[in-house]
Formats: sequence, structure tokens, C-alpha cells
Amino acid sequence: MKLTIDQRWDLIDKIAKQTVTFGEYRHTLKDAIGELTIKPFTGIPIAIAVMYAFWSIFSSFAGTLFTDGFMVKLFDGHFLPWMQDIFPGAGGWLYYIIVGDPLANNSFEALGVLTSGFFVAIGVVLPAIFIFYLMLALLEDMGYMPRLAVLIDTVLHRIGLHGYAIVPTILSLGCNVPGVAATRILETKKQRFIMMTLLAIFIPCGAQIGIMEEVIPDTMGWVLLYLITGYFIFGYILNKIVPGKSPEFLIDVPPYRKPMISNLSKKVWGRIVGFFKVALPFVLLGCGIVNVLYLVGFIDWVGNVFSPVFVLWFGVPEATAGPLIAAFLRKDLAVAQLSVIEMTPYQMISAVVLVSIYFPCVATFAMMIKEGVKEMLGALAVLFVVVFLYGGLIHLIGILLGVA
Amino acid sequence: MAERSIAAIYFAILGIITTAFGIADILVTMGAGSFAFGILEIPGDLFRGVWGGFIVLSAGLFYLSGIRNFEDIHQFSKIVMGSILIWIMAGCDIFAMITESIPGGEDGPWFNTLNGFIGTYAPPYTPAVLLLPFSLVVVYYIYKRK
Repeated sequence: MKLTIDQRWDLIDKIAKQTVTFGEYRHTLKDAIGELTIKPFTGIPIAIAVMYAFWSIFSSFAGTLFTDGFMVKLFDGHFLPWMQDIFPGAGGWLYYIIVGDPLANNSFEALGVLTSGFFVAIGVVLPAIFIFYLMLALLEDMGYMPRLAVLIDTVLHRIGLHGYAIVPTILSLGCNVPGVAATRILETKKQRFIMMTLLAIFIPCGAQIGIMEEVIPDTMGWVLLYLITGYFIFGYILNKIVPGKSPEFLIDVPPYRKPMISNLSKKVWGRIVGFFKVALPFVLLGCGIVNVLYLVGFIDWVGNVFSPVFVLWFGVPEATAGPLIAAFLRKDLAVAQLSVIEMTPYQMISAVVLVSIYFPCVATFAMMIKEGVKEMLGALAVLFVVVFLYGGLIHLIGILLGVA
Repeated sequence: MAERSIAAIYFAILGIITTAFGIADILVTMGAGSFAFGILEIPGDLFRGVWGGFIVLSAGLFYLSGIRNFEDIHQFSKIVMGSILIWIMAGCDIFAMITESIPGGEDGPWFNTLNGFIGTYAPPYTPAVLLLPFSLVVVYYIYKRK
């Protein structure tokens, strides 16, 4: 059947009469609250409150309740002594790799594949990742994330990005791998390069944050402050020197909605499974490889060779060479290793910042290669310069404050 | 009309007290100490004090900026937002209490004793927890509007 133009318009009118309600639209309370969360003057305090809730619930749930409350007791009081008893050949090289130090009385110090490896993965990272992804899914499904993107757009434009860059940034706080994948939502090569570089250098993953919460709870705030400051300083510099465009963005801000439990559980489950498929093998493998490197004397050798850089330039002990190598495999593991090295509080802050900004973990590295070898090489070049400059700057700040 | 005035006065007083608590939170923490008076306690940690204090202060300012022309939906939404900020802060503090009350402590049993469990919820409380019941009054006005 072919309709004339007039018939088409008639049909449109009929459908419109049946489906469209005409009248004056009155703002609801939900609309008004939605507007408050977007306007900078009111939206920024709300965003600060949301972030506060995020971290407060994260540390209470993962740190106080699960890791300190139950997991430390389970692993240090039962699992570690049991492994030390049943595994044959105490003092041998295989024992050292699998169980770790036979005299260790806690899972952080043992550094064995099946002791520290399992403790880090199950005792620390699992509760941290679970609560992180649950809260992220809640914010996404409620409709807060697009509002946060609008709110932070102006700030992120200063570093060559736009509001949507908040998505890969926050995803990276869970795990850098999906964060790097999410850089695809940015339009230009310049934006993707800046984002990928900043994620690889300055955004600690959930596992690392979980470990920091456990081993350096008092100074963790300073570490995060250094990382956030570095994110913006080097983002600003990259925006100035990297050629290319940083276009504006248009975003549809949906109304606030009640999250559905089925959606939340699917999202959280999918992300946790994905994370563990990538992370667990690397945690265990990381423990094993680092132990082998210690056994063959490689880490002592690296420590000796780079001693002047570590001690004089970065202001951290020579012994941090081991954790820095381990950081390539797993950064959470590296922070756990740092916790057993004798250091001043400021040296600990510097060392943890170095572990964070140093080479991305191998899983992120693999993801970066997938996104483009040229971009990855560029990001690595930036990374080496940043580590050297920022590491030295943090040491200098410590010297000026008289705490280094 | 009278009820509207009562509501405006109520939220003005709540706004002033909330703002004062927020400023106290920040000042006590900046002074690197903690403060306790009766059932009120301001803990001295940087995370809770400065960051949390700023949120309580913002809640107070939301209340104060919303009291004029209270009937307007945009003004009323500021009052509601003030309460939401208090709920966020108090919710976090109460959640922290819950997570502390369940495990039995470093050298104790797996789970807390009943006395220990109940003891965790005893006063003193943070400013946001004390403000929580007063902030719930806004729920009445939300339903009244509907």
C-alpha cells in the first residue's frame, strides 16, 4: 500500500493523538535533584560525598570486616601454619618457592606461591574487588555516572580529555585491564593515548588499593594524593605536547532510576570472574617468579646495579628493587613485599608511589599492546620519563619538608 | 502558611547546627586532635574529619540555601539534598560500626561476643549520626508533597 504525503501526515496525527500527552510539564523532585547533581556549585559537594561513601564503605567492608576481621585470622592462624607443617623439605628451594619463609608468622612475610599468593588473591583482593564493583554498578544503574561525566567535563578538558574519560578512570580503579579497553569510548587518537598513558601510570587498581588499605592505612591518603596530582600535572603536559584534537562531547543524561538486583548481580559477577581469570594466575605466577629471581640472586644484582638511582635519586632503600620487579607481574604483590622492608614512613610513601607509577602490570601491558603497539611504546616512553622525574620530585619534596 | 513557617524555621535551625558541626569537624581535625562531649564525638582522623566535615558543612549550607521560598520544588530539592548528604555520612558511620561489631578482634574468637557486639553501638556518636533523626523530618514533607 502506498500512502500520499497527506495520508502520511494524517496517519502521524492519529498515532500522535493516541500516544502523546499534551500539557504543561511540571518539574518533579527527582528532576530537581537531578539538576542539582549537574550544576557545578551544588554538584561538586555531592560528588565529593559520593566519593566519600565509596571509599568509606570500601575500607569498612574490605578492610575492617573481611580482611582484618576474618581473612588474616584464617590465613595467619590456620592456613600458613598448616602449609608450613605439611609441605615437605623445609628450607629447600621448592619449599621456598611454594610456601616461602619457613619462619614467617604471617602471610604477608611468607611470600610463597600458595601462602602469600592465596592470601593476596582471596584474603585481600576478592573482598576489595567485590565491594568496588558492587558500588560502581550501583552508581551506573542509578544514573549517577553520566552526571559525574558532565560535572567533571570542564576539568578533564584541561588535560585534553572530556567528561566520559571518568569511565575508564573509575573502571581502572577496579582493574586497569577493562580501564584500558574502555579508552575506546574516546573519539581521537590523542585522547586515547593520553588516557591510556595516565591510566597505566597514575591509577592504582582495586587489588593494589586493597593491599595499601591493609599495609599502609595511615599514609595511603598521601600516596593517593601524589597519584591524583601526578594524573593532572602530566595530563596537562601531555595535552600540550601530544598533537591531535580533543573534541567536545554530547551526552544523554538519563533520569535517576532504582537499580535492579538482577542487573547488579550479573554485572558484579561478570566483572569478578573476568578479574580473577586475569589476576589469579598472575598473582601466583608473580610470587613464583619473584622467588626464583631471589633464589638465583638476580634481584640482589639489580638492587646493586640500580642502588645509586634508588637510594640517591628516589630516596628509597636498595631492597625495594625486588618489589619493583614484582610490580611488573602484580602491583598488589609488590606493595605487600614493600610492607616487610624496613623504611621510614616517607620512604614507604615514595616506594608505594614508585610501584604505582612504575611499569604497568603484565596484564595491562598485554592489553595496551592489543590497543596498538605504537601507542604502547609511546606510553612506555612517557612512563620512563615520568617515573624518573616524579620519583625525584617526591624525594625532593621529602627533603624540603625534612622527612625524607 | 503556619506549617510552612514552622518547616522553614526548623530547617533553618537544623542548617545552622549542621553547618556548625561541619566547621567543628574540620577545625578539630586540622588541630590534629579529637573532641568528645557527652554523646558527641569528633574523631581526629584526616579522612573522616576534613573530607567528612566538608560534606556535613555542605549539608548545612544546602539546608540554609533551601529555606527561602520553601514551596518551590527547586528550593525544596536543596533541603532534600542536605538530608541526603547527612544520610550518606551517617550511613557510612553506621556501616563502619556494623563492620567493627561482627568480628571478634585480632586475638579473640572468630565472632564478637554479644556484649562486645552491643557495646560497639554505644555512644559517643559522630555529628552526622546525631543529626540523622532530625534530618529524617524531610521524609514527611516529601510525602506531603506527593
